[in-house]
Amino acid sequence: MEAPPVTVMPITSGTINMMEYLLQGSVLDAALESLLHRLRGLCDNMEPETFTDHELVYLLKGQQGNPFILRARRSLSHPTAPWHLRYLGQPEVGDKSRHALVRNCVDVAASHSLPDFLNEMGFRMDHEFVTSGHIFRKGAMKVVVCNVSRVLVPGNTENTERMSLSHLVELSVLAPAGQDTVSEDMRSFAEQLRPLIHLEKIDPSKQRH
Amino acid sequence: MGVTCVCPVPVAEGKSVQQTVDILHKKLEQLGAVKQGSFCVDCETYQSTGNPGGQPSKLLYVMHNSEVPLSCMALFEGGPCLTADANFDVLMVKLKSHFQNAKGHKVECRGSRYRYCDFLIKVGTVTMSSSARGISVEVEYCPCVVPGDCWNLMREFMQSFLGNNVPELPTVFAAKPEGLFAPADCVDTMTQYLELFNKLRKLQIPASNVR
Repeated sequence: MEAPPVTVMPITSGTINMMEYLLQGSVLDAALESLLHRLRGLCDNMEPETFTDHELVYLLKGQQGNPFILRARRSLSHPTAPWHLRYLGQPEVGDKSRHALVRNCVDVAASHSLPDFLNEMGFRMDHEFVTSGHIFRKGAMKVVVCNVSRVLVPGNTENTERMSLSHLVELSVLAPAGQDTVSEDMRSFAEQLRPLIHLEKIDPSKQRH
Repeated sequence: MGVTCVCPVPVAEGKSVQQTVDILHKKLEQLGAVKQGSFCVDCETYQSTGNPGGQPSKLLYVMHNSEVPLSCMALFEGGPCLTADANFDVLMVKLKSHFQNAKGHKVECRGSRYRYCDFLIKVGTVTMSSSARGISVEVEYCPCVVPGDCWNLMREFMQSFLGNNVPELPTVFAAKPEGLFAPADCVDTMTQYLELFNKLRKLQIPASNVR
Protein backbone atom coordinates (compact mmCIF):
# COMPACT_ATOMS: atom_id res chain seq x y z
CA MET A 1 0.00 0.00 0.00
CA GLU A 2 1.27 3.43 -0.92
CA ALA A 3 1.68 6.10 1.68
CA PRO A 4 -0.83 8.93 1.36
CA PRO A 5 0.35 11.77 -0.88
CA VAL A 6 2.16 14.77 0.49
CA THR A 7 -0.21 17.46 1.59
CA VAL A 8 0.50 20.79 0.06
CA MET A 9 -2.41 22.67 1.56
CA PRO A 10 -1.61 25.04 4.38
CA ILE A 11 -3.47 24.65 7.63
CA THR A 12 -6.43 26.96 7.31
CA SER A 13 -7.99 28.68 10.23
CA GLY A 14 -11.62 28.83 9.22
CA THR A 15 -13.69 31.13 7.09
CA ILE A 16 -13.94 34.86 7.43
CA ASN A 17 -16.75 36.68 9.12
CA MET A 18 -19.90 35.10 7.67
CA MET A 19 -23.36 36.59 8.10
CA GLU A 20 -26.71 34.91 7.84
CA TYR A 21 -29.42 36.90 6.08
CA LEU A 22 -32.80 35.59 7.15
CA LEU A 23 -36.50 35.97 6.42
CA GLN A 24 -39.10 33.88 8.18
CA GLY A 25 -42.76 33.05 7.90
CA SER A 26 -45.18 30.23 8.43
CA VAL A 27 -47.81 28.50 6.38
CA LEU A 28 -50.79 26.41 7.50
CA ASP A 29 -50.56 22.72 6.70
CA ALA A 30 -53.57 23.11 4.41
CA ALA A 31 -51.62 25.48 2.15
CA LEU A 32 -48.39 23.49 2.26
CA GLU A 33 -48.84 21.69 -1.05
CA SER A 34 -49.44 24.88 -3.02
CA LEU A 35 -46.36 26.48 -1.48
CA LEU A 36 -44.21 23.45 -2.30
CA HIS A 37 -45.59 23.50 -5.82
CA ARG A 38 -44.69 27.17 -6.21
CA LEU A 39 -41.21 26.59 -4.79
CA ARG A 40 -40.57 23.70 -7.16
CA GLY A 41 -41.35 26.04 -10.00
CA LEU A 42 -39.28 28.98 -8.77
CA CYS A 43 -36.20 27.24 -7.40
CA ASP A 44 -33.24 25.59 -9.04
CA ASN A 45 -34.09 22.39 -10.81
CA MET A 46 -32.94 19.73 -8.43
CA GLU A 47 -34.05 16.47 -6.93
CA PRO A 48 -36.58 17.12 -4.18
CA GLU A 49 -34.68 16.99 -0.93
CA THR A 50 -36.26 16.18 2.41
CA PHE A 51 -34.73 16.07 5.85
CA THR A 52 -35.41 15.11 9.45
CA ASP A 53 -33.11 16.75 11.96
CA HIS A 54 -32.75 16.64 15.71
CA GLU A 55 -31.58 19.93 17.19
CA LEU A 56 -30.23 20.40 20.70
CA VAL A 57 -29.78 23.89 22.06
CA TYR A 58 -26.93 24.25 24.55
CA LEU A 59 -26.26 27.08 26.98
CA LEU A 60 -23.02 28.06 28.64
CA LYS A 61 -23.63 30.30 31.62
CA GLY A 62 -20.82 32.61 32.62
CA GLN A 63 -20.45 34.66 35.76
CA GLN A 64 -22.13 37.59 34.10
CA GLY A 65 -24.11 38.55 31.05
CA ASN A 66 -26.23 36.45 28.77
CA PRO A 67 -25.56 32.75 28.37
CA PHE A 68 -23.60 31.67 25.30
CA ILE A 69 -25.86 29.66 22.99
CA LEU A 70 -24.80 26.90 20.60
CA ARG A 71 -27.03 24.73 18.45
CA ALA A 72 -26.05 21.15 17.72
CA ARG A 73 -27.92 19.42 14.94
CA ARG A 74 -27.79 15.90 13.64
CA SER A 75 -29.60 14.27 10.78
CA LEU A 76 -31.97 11.47 11.73
CA SER A 77 -32.26 10.37 8.11
CA HIS A 78 -28.46 10.16 7.69
CA PRO A 79 -27.25 8.99 11.09
CA THR A 80 -23.63 8.61 9.99
CA ALA A 81 -23.33 12.18 8.70
CA PRO A 82 -21.32 14.60 10.86
CA TRP A 83 -23.05 16.73 13.46
CA HIS A 84 -23.59 20.37 12.66
CA LEU A 85 -22.69 22.92 15.33
CA ARG A 86 -23.91 26.46 14.88
CA TYR A 87 -23.29 29.77 16.59
CA LEU A 88 -25.66 32.62 15.84
CA GLY A 89 -24.83 36.16 16.94
CA GLN A 90 -27.19 38.92 17.99
CA PRO A 91 -29.13 40.41 15.07
CA GLU A 92 -27.52 43.55 13.71
CA VAL A 93 -29.47 46.66 14.56
CA GLY A 94 -27.99 48.83 11.81
CA ASP A 95 -29.91 49.81 8.74
CA LYS A 96 -33.70 49.82 9.12
CA SER A 97 -34.15 49.82 5.35
CA ARG A 98 -32.40 46.48 5.04
CA HIS A 99 -34.94 43.83 4.11
CA ALA A 100 -33.58 40.85 6.02
CA LEU A 101 -32.45 40.04 9.51
CA VAL A 102 -28.65 39.92 9.57
CA ARG A 103 -26.65 38.06 12.17
CA ASN A 104 -23.19 36.61 12.55
CA CYS A 105 -23.05 32.89 11.93
CA VAL A 106 -20.40 30.22 12.46
CA ASP A 107 -21.08 26.72 11.10
CA VAL A 108 -18.88 23.86 12.21
CA ALA A 109 -19.05 20.25 11.10
CA ALA A 110 -18.17 18.03 14.04
CA SER A 111 -17.74 14.40 14.99
CA HIS A 112 -20.32 12.38 16.90
CA SER A 113 -18.63 13.04 20.23
CA LEU A 114 -20.08 16.57 20.10
CA PRO A 115 -22.68 16.24 22.94
CA ASP A 116 -20.10 14.73 25.33
CA PHE A 117 -17.60 17.37 24.33
CA LEU A 118 -20.01 20.27 24.88
CA ASN A 119 -20.87 18.88 28.31
CA GLU A 120 -17.19 18.74 29.19
CA MET A 121 -16.84 22.37 28.09
CA GLY A 122 -19.51 23.29 30.61
CA PHE A 123 -22.44 23.62 28.20
CA ARG A 124 -25.80 22.28 29.35
CA MET A 125 -28.61 21.18 27.06
CA ASP A 126 -31.50 23.61 27.41
CA HIS A 127 -34.09 22.23 25.01
CA GLU A 128 -34.36 19.99 21.98
CA PHE A 129 -36.72 19.52 19.06
CA VAL A 130 -37.11 17.63 15.82
CA THR A 131 -37.65 19.37 12.50
CA SER A 132 -38.71 17.65 9.35
CA GLY A 133 -39.39 19.04 5.92
CA HIS A 134 -38.09 20.12 2.53
CA ILE A 135 -35.10 22.09 1.27
CA PHE A 136 -35.00 24.17 -1.89
CA ARG A 137 -32.22 26.24 -3.37
CA LYS A 138 -32.09 29.14 -5.72
CA GLY A 139 -28.52 30.22 -6.35
CA ALA A 140 -27.10 31.11 -2.98
CA MET A 141 -30.55 31.26 -1.40
CA LYS A 142 -31.82 28.41 0.70
CA VAL A 143 -35.48 27.81 1.45
CA VAL A 144 -36.39 25.46 4.25
CA VAL A 145 -40.02 24.43 4.79
CA CYS A 146 -40.40 22.31 7.91
CA ASN A 147 -42.58 21.37 10.81
CA VAL A 148 -41.26 21.51 14.33
CA SER A 149 -42.00 18.84 16.95
CA ARG A 150 -41.21 18.83 20.61
CA VAL A 151 -39.40 15.84 22.08
CA LEU A 152 -41.64 14.36 24.79
CA VAL A 153 -39.06 12.14 26.49
CA PRO A 154 -35.57 13.73 26.61
CA GLY A 155 -33.29 12.19 24.01
CA ASN A 156 -35.99 10.02 22.45
CA THR A 157 -36.61 11.30 18.94
CA GLU A 158 -39.18 8.60 18.19
CA ASN A 159 -41.62 10.07 20.64
CA THR A 160 -42.48 13.56 19.44
CA GLU A 161 -45.46 15.87 19.18
CA ARG A 162 -46.07 18.54 16.54
CA MET A 163 -45.84 22.05 17.95
CA SER A 164 -48.53 23.47 15.68
CA LEU A 165 -50.58 22.79 12.58
CA SER A 166 -48.32 24.92 10.45
CA HIS A 167 -44.95 24.78 8.76
CA LEU A 168 -42.06 27.13 9.41
CA VAL A 169 -40.60 28.69 6.26
CA GLU A 170 -37.12 30.19 6.29
CA LEU A 171 -35.33 31.93 3.45
CA SER A 172 -31.65 32.39 4.19
CA VAL A 173 -28.33 33.24 2.58
CA LEU A 174 -24.85 32.97 4.01
CA ALA A 175 -22.56 35.74 2.80
CA PRO A 176 -19.53 37.68 3.99
CA ALA A 177 -20.34 40.79 6.03
CA GLY A 178 -21.36 43.87 4.10
CA GLN A 179 -22.96 42.22 1.04
CA ASP A 180 -26.25 43.98 1.42
CA THR A 181 -27.39 43.38 -2.16
CA VAL A 182 -28.18 39.87 -0.91
CA SER A 183 -31.15 41.15 1.06
CA GLU A 184 -32.49 42.82 -2.12
CA ASP A 185 -32.47 39.48 -3.96
CA MET A 186 -34.20 37.86 -1.00
CA ARG A 187 -36.88 40.51 -0.95
CA SER A 188 -37.70 40.08 -4.62
CA PHE A 189 -37.79 36.31 -4.21
CA ALA A 190 -40.09 36.63 -1.19
CA GLU A 191 -42.34 38.89 -3.29
CA GLN A 192 -42.85 36.05 -5.74
CA LEU A 193 -44.16 33.81 -2.99
CA ARG A 194 -46.92 36.20 -2.04
CA PRO A 195 -49.77 35.83 -1.27
CA LEU A 196 -49.11 32.18 -0.35
CA ILE A 197 -46.71 33.30 2.33
CA HIS A 198 -45.44 36.57 3.76
CA LEU A 199 -41.77 36.23 4.63
CA GLU A 200 -40.69 38.81 7.15
CA LYS A 201 -37.74 40.05 9.08
CA ILE A 202 -38.41 38.72 12.58
CA ASP A 203 -36.14 39.60 15.46
CA PRO A 204 -35.89 36.48 17.65
CA SER A 205 -34.82 38.50 20.68
CA LYS A 206 -38.23 40.23 20.64
CA GLN A 207 -40.04 36.89 20.66
CA ARG A 208 -38.74 35.75 24.02
CA HIS A 209 -41.24 35.78 26.82
CA MET B 1 -4.69 6.34 8.82
CA GLY B 2 -2.60 3.40 9.83
CA VAL B 3 -1.21 2.61 13.25
CA THR B 4 0.79 5.62 14.38
CA CYS B 5 3.31 6.01 17.16
CA VAL B 6 4.64 9.35 18.39
CA CYS B 7 7.65 9.44 20.69
CA PRO B 8 10.23 11.87 22.01
CA VAL B 9 13.88 11.53 21.03
CA PRO B 10 16.47 12.81 23.51
CA VAL B 11 19.00 15.31 22.22
CA ALA B 12 22.29 13.51 21.53
CA GLU B 13 25.02 14.22 24.02
CA GLY B 14 27.11 17.24 23.14
CA LYS B 15 24.81 18.07 20.21
CA SER B 16 22.14 20.72 19.69
CA VAL B 17 18.51 19.99 18.78
CA GLN B 18 19.19 20.83 15.13
CA GLN B 19 22.30 18.63 14.97
CA THR B 20 20.38 15.69 16.46
CA VAL B 21 17.60 16.19 13.89
CA ASP B 22 20.20 16.24 11.10
CA ILE B 23 21.66 12.95 12.37
CA LEU B 24 18.17 11.37 12.29
CA HIS B 25 17.59 12.65 8.74
CA LYS B 26 20.93 11.19 7.65
CA LYS B 27 20.11 7.80 9.18
CA LEU B 28 16.71 7.73 7.45
CA GLU B 29 18.24 8.64 4.11
CA GLN B 30 20.87 5.93 4.52
CA LEU B 31 18.05 3.44 5.07
CA GLY B 32 16.55 4.50 1.76
CA ALA B 33 13.75 6.71 3.02
CA VAL B 34 12.70 9.47 0.63
CA LYS B 35 11.94 12.99 1.79
CA GLN B 36 8.41 14.03 0.90
CA GLY B 37 7.81 17.59 1.99
CA SER B 38 7.27 18.87 5.46
CA PHE B 39 4.68 18.67 8.22
CA CYS B 40 3.37 20.73 11.09
CA VAL B 41 1.37 19.92 14.22
CA ASP B 42 0.31 22.75 16.50
CA CYS B 43 -1.52 23.03 19.78
CA GLU B 44 -3.24 25.97 21.48
CA THR B 45 -4.27 25.86 25.12
CA TYR B 46 -7.49 27.38 26.41
CA GLN B 47 -8.52 27.89 29.98
CA SER B 48 -12.12 28.17 31.10
CA THR B 49 -12.81 31.53 32.75
CA GLY B 50 -16.05 30.57 34.46
CA ASN B 51 -15.92 28.05 37.24
CA PRO B 52 -19.49 26.98 37.84
CA GLY B 53 -19.19 24.03 40.21
CA GLY B 54 -16.13 25.39 42.01
CA GLN B 55 -14.06 22.50 40.64
CA PRO B 56 -10.68 23.33 39.08
CA SER B 57 -11.17 24.13 35.41
CA LYS B 58 -9.81 21.67 32.88
CA LEU B 59 -7.60 22.79 30.05
CA LEU B 60 -8.97 22.61 26.54
CA TYR B 61 -6.48 21.92 23.77
CA VAL B 62 -7.14 22.81 20.14
CA MET B 63 -4.78 21.13 17.68
CA HIS B 64 -4.09 21.04 13.95
CA ASN B 65 -2.18 18.57 11.84
CA SER B 66 -0.97 19.27 8.30
CA GLU B 67 -1.83 15.66 7.43
CA VAL B 68 -5.52 16.61 7.81
CA PRO B 69 -5.33 20.29 6.86
CA LEU B 70 -9.06 21.05 6.90
CA SER B 71 -9.67 19.58 10.33
CA CYS B 72 -9.26 20.81 13.81
CA MET B 73 -9.02 18.55 16.84
CA ALA B 74 -10.20 19.67 20.26
CA LEU B 75 -9.23 17.60 23.28
CA PHE B 76 -9.51 17.52 27.03
CA GLU B 77 -6.72 15.64 28.74
CA GLY B 78 -8.09 12.18 29.40
CA GLY B 79 -11.52 13.33 28.29
CA PRO B 80 -13.62 13.44 25.15
CA CYS B 81 -12.06 14.46 21.83
CA LEU B 82 -13.82 16.30 19.07
CA THR B 83 -12.89 16.32 15.40
CA ALA B 84 -14.31 19.38 13.69
CA ASP B 85 -13.67 21.49 10.62
CA ALA B 86 -11.48 24.58 10.65
CA ASN B 87 -14.40 26.81 11.63
CA PHE B 88 -13.97 25.52 15.17
CA ASP B 89 -11.11 28.04 15.47
CA VAL B 90 -13.53 30.83 14.60
CA LEU B 91 -15.91 29.52 17.25
CA MET B 92 -13.15 29.64 19.87
CA VAL B 93 -12.72 33.34 19.07
CA LYS B 94 -16.44 33.84 19.73
CA LEU B 95 -16.04 31.95 22.99
CA LYS B 96 -13.17 34.09 24.21
CA SER B 97 -15.09 35.46 27.17
CA HIS B 98 -15.55 31.88 28.41
CA PHE B 99 -12.31 30.29 27.23
CA GLN B 100 -9.11 32.27 27.35
CA ASN B 101 -6.27 31.44 25.00
CA ALA B 102 -3.11 30.90 27.02
CA LYS B 103 -0.93 32.52 24.36
CA GLY B 104 2.40 31.61 25.93
CA HIS B 105 1.42 27.94 25.81
CA LYS B 106 1.32 27.61 22.04
CA VAL B 107 3.32 24.60 20.94
CA GLU B 108 4.43 23.83 17.42
CA CYS B 109 6.11 20.82 15.98
CA ARG B 110 7.61 21.25 12.51
CA GLY B 111 9.88 19.11 10.45
CA SER B 112 10.37 16.83 7.47
CA ARG B 113 8.20 14.03 6.28
CA TYR B 114 9.88 10.89 4.96
CA ARG B 115 8.51 7.84 3.23
CA TYR B 116 10.04 4.43 3.44
CA CYS B 117 7.94 1.72 1.72
CA ASP B 118 4.79 1.40 3.84
CA PHE B 119 6.09 3.66 6.59
CA LEU B 120 5.66 7.40 6.99
CA ILE B 121 8.22 9.01 9.25
CA LYS B 122 8.06 12.57 10.56
CA VAL B 123 10.94 14.07 12.46
CA GLY B 124 9.92 17.30 14.14
CA THR B 125 11.37 20.02 16.32
CA VAL B 126 9.02 20.96 19.13
CA THR B 127 9.04 24.68 19.87
CA MET B 128 7.34 26.56 22.69
CA SER B 129 7.35 30.36 22.62
CA SER B 130 10.04 30.26 19.91
CA SER B 131 12.51 28.11 21.84
CA ALA B 132 13.27 24.55 20.72
CA ARG B 133 12.23 22.21 23.51
CA GLY B 134 12.73 18.78 22.04
CA ILE B 135 12.49 16.37 19.14
CA SER B 136 9.57 14.19 18.14
CA VAL B 137 9.42 11.22 15.84
CA GLU B 138 6.14 9.99 14.40
CA VAL B 139 6.04 6.67 12.62
CA GLU B 140 2.96 5.46 10.79
CA TYR B 141 2.56 2.01 9.34
CA CYS B 142 0.02 2.76 6.64
CA PRO B 143 -1.42 -0.66 5.71
CA CYS B 144 -2.58 -1.73 9.19
CA VAL B 145 -5.08 -0.42 11.72
CA VAL B 146 -4.66 -3.03 14.45
CA PRO B 147 -1.74 -2.08 16.74
CA GLY B 148 -1.34 -5.60 18.12
CA ASP B 149 -0.76 -6.96 14.60
CA CYS B 150 2.06 -4.63 13.59
CA TRP B 151 3.63 -3.29 16.76
CA ASN B 152 6.62 -5.66 16.64
CA LEU B 153 7.29 -4.75 13.03
CA MET B 154 7.09 -1.04 13.84
CA ARG B 155 9.41 -1.52 16.81
CA GLU B 156 11.96 -3.25 14.68
CA PHE B 157 11.78 -0.56 12.03
CA MET B 158 12.12 2.20 14.61
CA GLN B 159 15.10 0.44 16.13
CA SER B 160 16.92 0.78 12.81
CA PHE B 161 17.20 4.56 13.16
CA LEU B 162 16.35 5.28 16.81
CA GLY B 163 18.55 2.61 18.38
CA ASN B 164 17.81 2.36 22.08
CA ASN B 165 15.25 5.14 22.07
CA VAL B 166 12.43 2.91 20.81
CA PRO B 167 9.28 3.58 22.86
CA GLU B 168 6.90 1.14 24.49
CA LEU B 169 3.46 0.54 22.95
CA PRO B 170 1.69 3.93 23.24
CA THR B 171 -0.79 4.06 26.12
CA VAL B 172 -3.64 5.11 23.78
CA PHE B 173 -3.46 1.61 22.30
CA ALA B 174 -2.69 -0.26 25.50
CA ALA B 175 -5.79 1.26 27.12
CA LYS B 176 -8.08 -0.05 24.39
CA PRO B 177 -9.69 -3.46 24.70
CA GLU B 178 -8.17 -5.60 21.92
CA GLY B 179 -6.89 -2.25 20.69
CA LEU B 180 -8.62 -1.44 17.44
CA PHE B 181 -7.21 1.81 16.11
CA ALA B 182 -9.72 4.59 15.60
CA PRO B 183 -9.77 4.59 11.81
CA ALA B 184 -9.99 7.55 9.48
CA ASP B 185 -9.37 10.19 12.11
CA CYS B 186 -6.18 11.10 13.85
CA VAL B 187 -7.41 11.58 17.40
CA ASP B 188 -5.12 8.81 18.71
CA THR B 189 -2.15 10.48 17.02
CA MET B 190 -3.08 13.89 18.41
CA THR B 191 -3.49 12.43 21.91
CA GLN B 192 0.08 11.14 21.65
CA TYR B 193 1.36 14.53 20.48
CA LEU B 194 -0.46 16.21 23.36
CA GLU B 195 1.13 13.82 25.88
CA LEU B 196 4.53 14.52 24.36
CA PHE B 197 4.00 18.31 24.40
CA ASN B 198 2.92 18.26 28.04
CA LYS B 199 5.92 16.13 28.97
CA LEU B 200 8.29 18.54 27.20
CA ARG B 201 6.60 21.57 28.74
CA LYS B 202 7.45 20.30 32.21
CA LEU B 203 11.07 19.58 31.29
CA GLN B 204 13.79 22.04 32.18
CA ILE B 205 15.87 22.56 29.07
CA PRO B 206 19.55 23.35 29.48
CA ALA B 207 20.30 26.83 28.17
CA SER B 208 22.66 25.53 25.46
CA ASN B 209 19.76 23.93 23.58
CA VAL B 210 17.64 27.04 23.42
CA ARG B 211 17.86 28.70 20.05
